[in-house]
Amino acid sequence: MARGGVWVWLREDVWEIPLRRYLALLVTAALATGGYFGVSALAQDDRSCAPGVVRPENSHECVGVSSTDYDFDRPQLRDVVEAIDRENRSLKAGSYVTVALLEPFTASDPDNLGDVLHEMQGAYLAQHQANHDSNGQAPAIRLVLANPGATGAHWKHTVDQLERMAKGPDRLRAVTGVGLSTENNKLAVKELTRRGIPVIGTSITADDLANGQNGKDPFPGLARVSPTNTDEARALTSFANVTAGRALLVYDKPGDPYTRTLQESFAKLIEGSPYEPQPFTPPADRSKEGTTANTFRQITHLVCGTARGTDTILFAGRHTQLRQFINALGGRGCQDREFTLLTGDEGSYLTGDKDLDRSALTHKLSVRYTALAHPDAWAKDSARTGGSATDAKALDEQLSSAAHKPVGPIGEVSLEDGQLIIAYDAMRLAVNGIREATTDGKVVPPLADVGLQWPQVKGPLRVNGASGWICLDAHGNPYDKAVPIVELTAEGRARFVKIAWPEGKPPGKECLPPS
Amino acid sequence: MGGRRLHGRGALFDTDPAGLAPRLVGLRPHAHRSTSYEHPGELPLVVLSGARGLGKSAVLGELRDAYKGHTPVALIDCEHTEFAAPPSGRPAEAWSPVSQALLVIAEQLAEPVTGAGRIQFPRLMSGLVAVAAGGWGDADSERIRREVQRILLLNESGSWVTGFAGRWAGRVAAKVVAAATGTGPLLSAAVEATLESLSDGFAGRRHQRASSWYRDYPNAGDNPQRGLILLSGHFRADGTSREHAERHLVRALLADLTDAYTGVLPRMKRLGRPLVLIDNAQTDPGPGLVEAVLRDRSEGVADQVAFVAAVRGEGRPALRNAVRRALPEVARGSDWAPDPGSASSRALLVSLPPLSPDDTLHIVDAVCSDLQVPPQLPHATHRLTGGNPLGIALIAESAAQNLPDASSLGELLTADLRVHPEHDGRPAYLELLDRLVPPDRLDELTVLAAAHDHDSACALADALLPEDFGPADVRALQTRLVREGLPEVPGRFVGDPFVRTLLLLRLHHRDTDHGQWRKAHETLVDHYADPADDPVRYRLHHELALGGTESAVEYLRDTFATLPTSTWLKSLRFIASAPYFHAHDADGRDFTGRDDRRAAVALGLTDADHEPPEGVDSALHLRIRRLLYAVWQLTDPLALPDQTVSQRLRFELEQLSNLRPAGNALLWRASRDWPVDALAGRTLHIPDDEEGEA
Repeated sequence: MARGGVWVWLREDVWEIPLRRYLALLVTAALATGGYFGVSALAQDDRSCAPGVVRPENSHECVGVSSTDYDFDRPQLRDVVEAIDRENRSLKAGSYVTVALLEPFTASDPDNLGDVLHEMQGAYLAQHQANHDSNGQAPAIRLVLANPGATGAHWKHTVDQLERMAKGPDRLRAVTGVGLSTENNKLAVKELTRRGIPVIGTSITADDLANGQNGKDPFPGLARVSPTNTDEARALTSFANVTAGRALLVYDKPGDPYTRTLQESFAKLIEGSPYEPQPFTPPADRSKEGTTANTFRQITHLVCGTARGTDTILFAGRHTQLRQFINALGGRGCQDREFTLLTGDEGSYLTGDKDLDRSALTHKLSVRYTALAHPDAWAKDSARTGGSATDAKALDEQLSSAAHKPVGPIGEVSLEDGQLIIAYDAMRLAVNGIREATTDGKVVPPLADVGLQWPQVKGPLRVNGASGWICLDAHGNPYDKAVPIVELTAEGRARFVKIAWPEGKPPGKECLPPS
Repeated sequence: MGGRRLHGRGALFDTDPAGLAPRLVGLRPHAHRSTSYEHPGELPLVVLSGARGLGKSAVLGELRDAYKGHTPVALIDCEHTEFAAPPSGRPAEAWSPVSQALLVIAEQLAEPVTGAGRIQFPRLMSGLVAVAAGGWGDADSERIRREVQRILLLNESGSWVTGFAGRWAGRVAAKVVAAATGTGPLLSAAVEATLESLSDGFAGRRHQRASSWYRDYPNAGDNPQRGLILLSGHFRADGTSREHAERHLVRALLADLTDAYTGVLPRMKRLGRPLVLIDNAQTDPGPGLVEAVLRDRSEGVADQVAFVAAVRGEGRPALRNAVRRALPEVARGSDWAPDPGSASSRALLVSLPPLSPDDTLHIVDAVCSDLQVPPQLPHATHRLTGGNPLGIALIAESAAQNLPDASSLGELLTADLRVHPEHDGRPAYLELLDRLVPPDRLDELTVLAAAHDHDSACALADALLPEDFGPADVRALQTRLVREGLPEVPGRFVGDPFVRTLLLLRLHHRDTDHGQWRKAHETLVDHYADPADDPVRYRLHHELALGGTESAVEYLRDTFATLPTSTWLKSLRFIASAPYFHAHDADGRDFTGRDDRRAAVALGLTDADHEPPEGVDSALHLRIRRLLYAVWQLTDPLALPDQTVSQRLRFELEQLSNLRPAGNALLWRASRDWPVDALAGRTLHIPDDEEGEA
């Protein structure tokens, strides 16, 4: 009956009356259209994470460029993200240019995430210093966070977005960070520089992620704060005084730009060694454990099988494999023999690595590596040029002011891995380049001019970084950059040993790279 | 849905195929669904005709119920007292039944319907204000306000700005009152205030058009205000001038209705046509309204309003040229076309027929649904009432209230019937007479019902009615009955058998000793004392009515051999049609019991006690006696036909056919037909006889 009543009502009180019929048809059509769009909007997955940050198809990662207080769901980053956002929002519209920090913010392993945190802290401190302690120099610096994904797989998306920001009202003028020397990062840097965006690498050390190799400049506008692997290896060898007959090379095969550079530098040092270099093959994602631990156990037998005069092991690999190797060495048969393991800056990761068998370091095994920077370097070393304790102290002052509001908090601070220091220096280099490119009376430098500043950063125009002087050669690579050699202690700390120099000695006072 | 439907009026209300009403209104009854018009252009003004009690008012009421809320409907009863005289304090020159009817009709039509809001009547409103203003010469402002406020409400829009609209009427009323009570010419001031109210402020194009409508009034000279003043003057002047003004008021109503149906938006909101129902249109203001509409239509002032009027009688002479149809003829199509030269041909006169035995059965079943109804009752009811819907309805109602205590129709008619739950009951026959007979002539008709023709009526009037009621009045009454639609039947002063039966019943019950009843019949017995052939039957008929059977038996016995058989059968049938209202004892006196002794006599149960006169064929005498009683019982419209008596009738007639070889075939035929006719409630059929009266 009720249904009949509704039917009769529809038939007689709506359909029969033309005005109501047409209105009802209109309303029905509007509802149907609205319903269609509503349902399709609901059915369509919301792939946005935050302003500027989305989940690409087939991925759960939030990638893109964030200019808000979005922390990429990483609680560790919360404080510093908020500090950066506060600083950004305090800037007057039109008074600033933007610098992006390109890092794998969605990294899940604590080592990489620790690096990311420290680089953010360093970049933020440099930003804050540039905006507040630089005598009112223009333009102000806005810092945004560009995430290409944990493995950098979505670099293309992020690079596209950065390019739009460079052309748009964001006035992006430089990208700093980049971090690891991975294939994806290399492609990203290549694409960014191809599109005319200046890049300042922080901890990239690979030779093939640098200009000037074999006389070519594949990355126009790229500047680096860290020495190349070759320079590190040169510094390392100048420090260690390695000879061919006393060293064994263990290397990553096929390797990535970082490990290959290191491997080649080491190989050059020990040319004519009686020992065959020992390869290992890690998983594609080198932060995964894989099966390399077995390989390393095999290699320890080889190590013990060497002549007694052999006391140096050169390791060209990433930190996970390094840790596995050290753990394996801790259980080697020849505990009575003393060994020194030399490796590149990847060693710095081990300071916080809980899986490291620290007792291995008490069994006549010392692990020494080149650090990107070390807080004790300038306080303890006697070098008169190539850096100074005063420059290092400037960062310390920034750090102490960031312990509380209004500058901080910026999260847990650790200087030992050098990432904070190097990121701070890279950001200062970026600010330096931007401000040098800004002609008098203008606020915003042309994008192309920023990259052209790098060759000028030398002599009196050098950047007195906390990690040492940054004097760039014609290819944007640092010249004779201080390389702290540190030793991993059984307590899991990095003990400063000595500053080593790629050229064998500190640069001259004028700090002019040979042309 | 819709409640009780009328029986036997499908030709009006059917939906598939559409009956007259849906074809006229364009809507299905009791539904908001359109049907196609039979006359999309000019439509006929339908006039339902028929005598009292044939259901005209019921049909109009049903039409109103069927369309109320779906299309604007107005129903007025011209016999209602509000149309008889002006309300107290209102001078006659500013009031007429037509103006009052227009106000009432417009008030009802204004009501909102499904899909559309109220209808406004700005033209009619201004006209009525002008007419009313003609009577404000010495009125106080309170009366003026009261009158004008009611008229102004015709222009109520009833939309969501109702508050505003209500204030509008109040404001204009105040303005009109102020104008009317101020100095200067009263009428023109009131008219001006009204017209101004239409054209000022928020008035739309519709109101602008309405305010200038009266500029077309003859001699208005393009000035609506002058037109209204002229109209008011004509109305006051009475006579044909007033008719002229009234016609313009009717035209104003129709123009307002046409306006409400014109335009894109109204056409998209309104279905069908507005419906105006005029009951008792033979009384003022009915003729004025109907004539005004017909005349306008014939003069080309078109409208699309469906009018259905009901007139008592045949509708002559005003509707002389109307197209005439019986109701069943218009079931599928009315086949109506107006004659260009004649206004009355714009009307379609539809006569309402009596209901059929089937309808009677359905009505009795419907009313007495929970009761055990005697199986003969529906047929007997139909035989008694002749299909009169009111009679059927009230008898069925009486049966519902009084069964099983009262079982015969006579008892149902004399039993108390409560028409309204809150009123006391009255005998059913009185309720019926109130509505079937002109109330002012009920007493006269009660007496004259026993008469057969003018002479006998005059004899009765002479004997029983006051002296001032002479033969001229008898003739006037007879003419009036015919005019009201009662049939003219030779041999009966009151032609309608049902009404006649009811009147005789009233005559019988008028006083406790039935003195008037007796005196009436004795007067007629004397009137027919002359022993010529025909009057003998009348005399015997009335003697039988008084309970005297001997002469009748004697006459029939003696003429059995001499009269032609068909004449003899007719005589038998006529004499036996005498009323038998009460049981009589053997001496013809009142008998208070419920016993109907006729059956006992007819079945021969009393033969032993009855001594035939000396020297006659006692077998024949007893047989004729039984036959007379059988026919008397079986043809009594107030008694239920008795199955055993009808079988006895058959037997007696069969036996008689053996006694009279010459009339053998006829008697034998009657022995087969009469019992069947009697049980079916039909008039007893005499073979080779034209259907009709004795």
